Amino acid sequence: MAIIEGPDSLLRERGVSQQVDAFVIGCQFSRNGQTFAAALGDGTVQFYHPADRSWQSLNVHKGAVLSLAQDVTPDGFITGGDDGQLARMAPGAQTQSIAGFGRKWVEHVASWAGAKSLPLIACAVGKSIHLYAADGTLLKTMEHPSTVTGIAIDSKGKRVAASHYNGASIWFTATKTTTAKTLEWKGSHTGIAIHPAFEAIVTTMQENALHGWRQPDGQHMRMSGYPAKTESHGFTASGRWLATAGADAIVLWPFFGGGPMGKAPTELAGGDGIIAKRVACHPLHDVVAAGFADGLVVVADIARERILPVAGPGRGAVSALCWSPNGNHLGFGTEEGFVACVDFSKKP
Amino acid sequence: MADLSTETKLIPVTVLTGYLGAGKTTLLNRILSENHGKRYAVIINEFGELGVDNDLVVDSDEEVFEMNNGCICCTVRGDLIRIINGLMKRRDKFDGIIVETTGLANPAPVAQTFFVDEDVKAKTRLDAIVTVVDAKHLLARLDDSPEAADQIAFADVIVLNKLDLVTADELAIVEARIRSINRFATINHATRADVPVDKLLGLAAFDLNRVLAEVPDFLDEDNHTHDEHLNSISLSVEAPLDAEKFNAWISGLLATKGQDLLRTKGILAYKNENRRFAFQAVHMIADGDYVAPWKAGDKRVSRIVFIGRDLNRPQLRRGFESCVA
Repeated sequence: MAIIEGPDSLLRERGVSQQVDAFVIGCQFSRNGQTFAAALGDGTVQFYHPADRSWQSLNVHKGAVLSLAQDVTPDGFITGGDDGQLARMAPGAQTQSIAGFGRKWVEHVASWAGAKSLPLIACAVGKSIHLYAADGTLLKTMEHPSTVTGIAIDSKGKRVAASHYNGASIWFTATKTTTAKTLEWKGSHTGIAIHPAFEAIVTTMQENALHGWRQPDGQHMRMSGYPAKTESHGFTASGRWLATAGADAIVLWPFFGGGPMGKAPTELAGGDGIIAKRVACHPLHDVVAAGFADGLVVVADIARERILPVAGPGRGAVSALCWSPNGNHLGFGTEEGFVACVDFSKKP
Repeated sequence: MADLSTETKLIPVTVLTGYLGAGKTTLLNRILSENHGKRYAVIINEFGELGVDNDLVVDSDEEVFEMNNGCICCTVRGDLIRIINGLMKRRDKFDGIIVETTGLANPAPVAQTFFVDEDVKAKTRLDAIVTVVDAKHLLARLDDSPEAADQIAFADVIVLNKLDLVTADELAIVEARIRSINRFATINHATRADVPVDKLLGLAAFDLNRVLAEVPDFLDEDNHTHDEHLNSISLSVEAPLDAEKFNAWISGLLATKGQDLLRTKGILAYKNENRRFAFQAVHMIADGDYVAPWKAGDKRVSRIVFIGRDLNRPQLRRGFESCVA
């Protein structure tokens, strides 16, 4: 192949990486952007500090880490494990348990912090979502008809949405109500994303398709035609595009001009038959990163339809991908334990 | 059923079914405590009978999900898909997975999960469905609950337990009854679920190559001892088959009769093809692929086995024979 030098040049020139001996289940930057964390199938979390280019490893869970999110603090993270623990950690601090659930897995975690509302930590355990205040006090527990498969908190911290069998549920975080607004669609929903302006809620499904409910009228949106399951999806910061994995390209559905209904999606970085596993939208621009089943990582400028390779294939299927809050760094990890962080900031 | 090299990397999954009180938990604890040097992840129902002593136990709430694929009886275990994907994140930590089902569970959704979900298929293989039955109470169970018969029909291996509670004559009756439902499962006798682990795990019982090779020559002898609705038959054809004709026939058959066909397995000899074609289905969900070639000197006989309700043998035989090239 002709692309021997090309695909890895960004990783080589502007990236740091390490090879660990475990599945990378997720990665995330802290809210202040100063720490990159990669959570692993061996129960550890690897921290990387771009400022001094140092790595640090922390033992957190007895089994595998199943979920990772930013904590509500500037420098911390929260994780859920198959040891039934919801934990919080920060560089240089003791790891703390927020809650324990015995043999139940803590499969999803999420948090929200901002000026307009109180900070929130959420975790999904079986059919329940537990919501905690910043200090770890349990605020409320929300029950669902079946196991929760994904959590999303809206951009204002006012609502939390959950995907499950036969649809999704939306809860207001501040009220004491014990009933959710339910969005129904038959089938097994496996993940969820909320439009940044709350114009739509979109779930991924067992049947290689996505389903959306326009808000507030609940109009159904069916997005299908994927050759594989969509394991990752998210809206761009502008809310104009929904980026999705599950095809041999980054599939982008337009959420403007009447779309996505009746519109064809834009497909970027496709053509070689390798399935996109993870997508991550840039926090500021209409730019999306994607990681593929062969290990290839690219960044795509949606409007200009230009693709920038970040890392070439060969290090395992990409299983984690994220941007730093200012969009200066892109982190990723693979099923085979390759962890990397690439610096996109302007060099002086 | 990919080639052998990928097959060996797939994590074997054993499904343990059986009626409440048949001895499932005793068997499970026996498997886990035996010194076999292997580690198993165990998925148990959260409302299970007894405790299970193992360091990798996952509590599960059996969630049977319908699939929107136009197939009316296609259901899968949503919780298994999730848990197996979760377990794969620590896949170096165990050698196999054991799934315990509740006493009242229909085995079809569990089995179908391994055919339907691409991620599960890519990382695991269904090794065997092991059904534990209580020799003393089986006949009563068969009369009062359809699940008991379904669990026998689905089994690759049957552990006929609590033999100390029955006489030799009673045992013969129970065994004949099991055989009238499923003639192809291996039956292991046990008293306190004392069956060697190597007769339960790592069998590759779903590997049809082996199953049909090990089945004694059951050609065309069909003895209905009971008026059991659920029974099993096998058919064989010596002339090579036409792949398109077989596909058309089996697709039509599964589409119309799939609800009554619990398990279908076959090894087929296609015309102008040196490899065996292995076919299997659970209800309407089918899967098939080429496997190892016929050996020189092998008699190239196509065989198919049906386990199901109200099987019409002459009609099935005519259908199978019509697939000859």
